[in-house]
Amino acid sequence: MNPQEPPHARPEQQFFEDPAIDRLMGTVMALATEVFVLQSRLRALEDRLGEGGVVDVANLRADSEDQAQQAAEAKAYSEHLLRPLLGLQDALGPTD
Amino acid sequence: MHESDFAAAQAFLLGAKNFWTTNLYRELRYKYDRRIDKRDAESLTPDEAVAELEGDVTYHFFGWLERHLQRMKYTSRYGVIPYHSERRDTLTQEAGFSLQDEYAPVLNPGLELPKYYKSIDIHQHQGGLWSEITAGFAYEYGARTTTPLLGETHEDLHKRFTEYVADGVDFKRILDLGCGFGKSTRPFLKQFPTSAVHAVDLSAPCLHVASQFARKNSTRNVRYSQQDARGTNFDDESFDLVTSTMLLHELPVKSVLQLFEECYRLLQHGGRMAHLDFYILPDAFDRLMHYGHSKRNNEIFMRGVSELDLPGVLGKIGFIDIKIERFQEGVDVDLDAHEAWRFPWTAISAVKPRRAAA
Repeated sequence: MNPQEPPHARPEQQFFEDPAIDRLMGTVMALATEVFVLQSRLRALEDRLGEGGVVDVANLRADSEDQAQQAAEAKAYSEHLLRPLLGLQDALGPTD
Repeated sequence: MHESDFAAAQAFLLGAKNFWTTNLYRELRYKYDRRIDKRDAESLTPDEAVAELEGDVTYHFFGWLERHLQRMKYTSRYGVIPYHSERRDTLTQEAGFSLQDEYAPVLNPGLELPKYYKSIDIHQHQGGLWSEITAGFAYEYGARTTTPLLGETHEDLHKRFTEYVADGVDFKRILDLGCGFGKSTRPFLKQFPTSAVHAVDLSAPCLHVASQFARKNSTRNVRYSQQDARGTNFDDESFDLVTSTMLLHELPVKSVLQLFEECYRLLQHGGRMAHLDFYILPDAFDRLMHYGHSKRNNEIFMRGVSELDLPGVLGKIGFIDIKIERFQEGVDVDLDAHEAWRFPWTAISAVKPRRAAA
């Protein structure tokens, strides 16, 4: 066990034949989360700039987006991000 | 952690879970059906079903996402655990955790928590529901997205179950076992506003949150207390209805049997026991999904409960009118459509016989 890990840490479950894919997926999804957080922040900033006012960072971070809009964007973003996992063609092509 | 960053990250994780629940599930089911269409799907064991999908990349991603979306929801940088821990002082103060009023839960600091309860972080909830004072808040937030297609409060599910249990009967003394933060209790309070309702759970942090709801809504006909559902301090024949929602599958089989015995002891003659849980698994794919969820989501007792001979067990204790039925959790849910991942909701009810006339 890595001495930096808490004493209760147990080996993570493995889903792919190569455990490297399991771990890399974790990194990919963590990055994807960060991208969505950044997108949300950027959109909030754009909204404020669009309103023509002076941007106040504290206010910018305190205000959350409209929940319904955010949920719809999260759904579309997730489909865009995860659709490749299905392994399906977008356009009809050769099957072998 | 900023509120807006937390909200955005959790929105993304929910979006991803929606994809897993629908798109990925449907693709997996389609592939599975194509592979077994010439075999008897009913007779396959879960291990044989796994073998059908072994090596299938879609299945690998399905399993990975099921486990890790939950992990990210709880313990990642933007997880509900760090979010609520950072706000510990404010949350507990605003919730009135220190108040000793009529709404405060009856806690038992000397209660020895069962080994099974502490040995696994259920639902991947780091530290379980017992070790951190904010665990009830974290669980309440996390539960909003357990089954994304049912909405945040699962109101339809709980309301439908309460109406199913009531079935025209005016229960006067009700006990909700494993009540958590009171999500399953509140519909009964609404359905039976003049009844005396007791609700018990092992988790003090969850009971605090349940009491907060009662205080906020001025609900006076409920008393929350910290007790082990397998052996409570209520007198024999104290209730005419004993219920639970999503409790049985969180217990080892031996504890489930103890719980049924306790229900029988607590019920008045003619009283009813009703549990909403996961039990009926129509085909091998359903079993594969359920047992897989059990491991991937740290709910390790699911399989044992699903394989119990419930009619036999309940009959042996003395229950009659035993009903075990698939439960439609939402008005639009088609139980046989396989359009989206869902729990195998099952309503389990039985009656303690009336005393024989002298």
